[in-house]
Amino acid sequence: MGTSKLKRELGLLHATMLGIGGAICAGVFVTLGYAATLAGTALIVAMVLCGIINLFTMLSYAELGAALPSAGGEYTYAKASFGGFLSFATGWFEWISNMFYAAFSAVGFAYLLSYVIPTINIPLVAVSAIIVFTLVNIKGVKETGMTQTSLVLILLILLSIFVAYGFLTSQATGVLDLKAPGGAFGVLRASAFVFVVYLGGEAIAVAQAEIKNPGKTIPRAILLTCFSLMLVYTAISIVIFRIVTVESLASQSSPLAYVAEQFMGPVGVGMVTIAGIIAALTSVNTSTMAHSRVAYALARDGYFPKRMFNVHARFSTPTIAVIAGSVFTAAFAATGIVNFVTYATDFGFIIGFVFVNLSLIKLRRDKPNLARPFKVPFFPLTPILGIATSLLLIFFLEPGTLVLGLELFIFGLVVYYVRMVGNCGICSAVGGMNFAISGFSALMAVLLVTDSLPITLSHDMLWLLFTIAVVISAVYSVAGILDVTKKVQEE
Amino acid sequence: MRRPRRIVSLVVGLVQCGFGGLASVLSYFIYSSSSLREALAIAPEEVYLYMFISSVFGVLSIVSGVMLLVQENGRRQG
Repeated sequence: MGTSKLKRELGLLHATMLGIGGAICAGVFVTLGYAATLAGTALIVAMVLCGIINLFTMLSYAELGAALPSAGGEYTYAKASFGGFLSFATGWFEWISNMFYAAFSAVGFAYLLSYVIPTINIPLVAVSAIIVFTLVNIKGVKETGMTQTSLVLILLILLSIFVAYGFLTSQATGVLDLKAPGGAFGVLRASAFVFVVYLGGEAIAVAQAEIKNPGKTIPRAILLTCFSLMLVYTAISIVIFRIVTVESLASQSSPLAYVAEQFMGPVGVGMVTIAGIIAALTSVNTSTMAHSRVAYALARDGYFPKRMFNVHARFSTPTIAVIAGSVFTAAFAATGIVNFVTYATDFGFIIGFVFVNLSLIKLRRDKPNLARPFKVPFFPLTPILGIATSLLLIFFLEPGTLVLGLELFIFGLVVYYVRMVGNCGICSAVGGMNFAISGFSALMAVLLVTDSLPITLSHDMLWLLFTIAVVISAVYSVAGILDVTKKVQEE
Repeated sequence: MRRPRRIVSLVVGLVQCGFGGLASVLSYFIYSSSSLREALAIAPEEVYLYMFISSVFGVLSIVSGVMLLVQENGRRQG
């Protein structure tokens, strides 16, 4: 393994396809039913609103990506602006979120494939998809870009057929007047719910170290992605409400397939299912690239093991970083844990959005002379709106998402502490922990033998617990002494 | 002095890892075994609390035990 650099091999088309493919996921095929119950036909407005909210932050990505085209995306921007734990937290959330997103997309692919081949083993198929795209990402960034471009073009063609046929068909029973049963609040709730379909466009930023002529290509790719997504999603929403009523859509687990069946029959269902499968695969590909480049950047700055910074001499890809992240991704997909931690991906991406906008503002103030091939219009209003709308979205997340996000934050804090403090600091901390456990166990032993605890235990159980508490107290006090005296020993 | 210290570190490290493993298993059985809950006088509303405490204790013990083992192994190789 050499110390080669990443190669700039992605042009405008590949970069744009990374963004579009990263965003269009299986989510758009299943979320619209519930969103329609919140916003009614005004879901069309919600889609446009989401696109505008997304644009506020994507403009910040465009300026920072053009000015700081190093690997890592939002982590790199936060490092240049804030440094320290804040930048690490940004990179940490991006790394974790992209791994979860890759696992979620792989499982989504497996579930969709099971509609076509019912006998498949879903975890096995999900892991296989992850392995395939790990190999593609190892092979080279050009191969990753070409694979992504091919898949996204097919996906866009299928969606275009759906939209075109939907506009032309005479089998339309829906009503296209914009009505929101939940009022403006319902539209906002629907916007927060479907915003996930716009997440992924920032994959362009993570791959910016491998994009040709970054000063021009990155802003163009990001803006093309934003407007393409708005166009696609708005057109799909219009077709949906042209074909079916809101009430009939609400109970459907696969709303897009249901709509396609109404005016295209089984062929439509098959086409939408294939589109969903491809959408899931493009997300796996993009997320695999994203988490590896974030890990590469974190390793570059010493937060992750140095081996993740190695670039393969022949493939020019950070092979160790790709494999390490993919191992976690496969584990998440295989164990099914992805089903409940997927909520954390939304939280992680939104945190990234907030920090990107903050980084833009800070860098404009601290480094006004930094070369900026692209500048965000209406500064500082645009990034402030990006921050405000991102924070607003957090309030609409499920409470479990926030709790999980907090837990990931604490875990990241521990990782940062372990990496940043010296070995002696860690020994002292662990030694202190051992002393605390020892003291607590001693206290429990005393309370047990004096029958001071408000619980009723049998005689045998009481003495068993007493013995265990005494042994733990002794062992952990010795462990604590060994830990805190380690430094003295080495001197 | 180094040899007795090394032996004590290895023994304590192994014991801590053992305690950590047992605590993790205990956490599972607190959830799944009603007879164990009855023996330990754990009320139904306290199950998750005891599971959490047991899990945290298990993880911390394993971390501490592994650190002792790795440090002594590293010192011996050095």
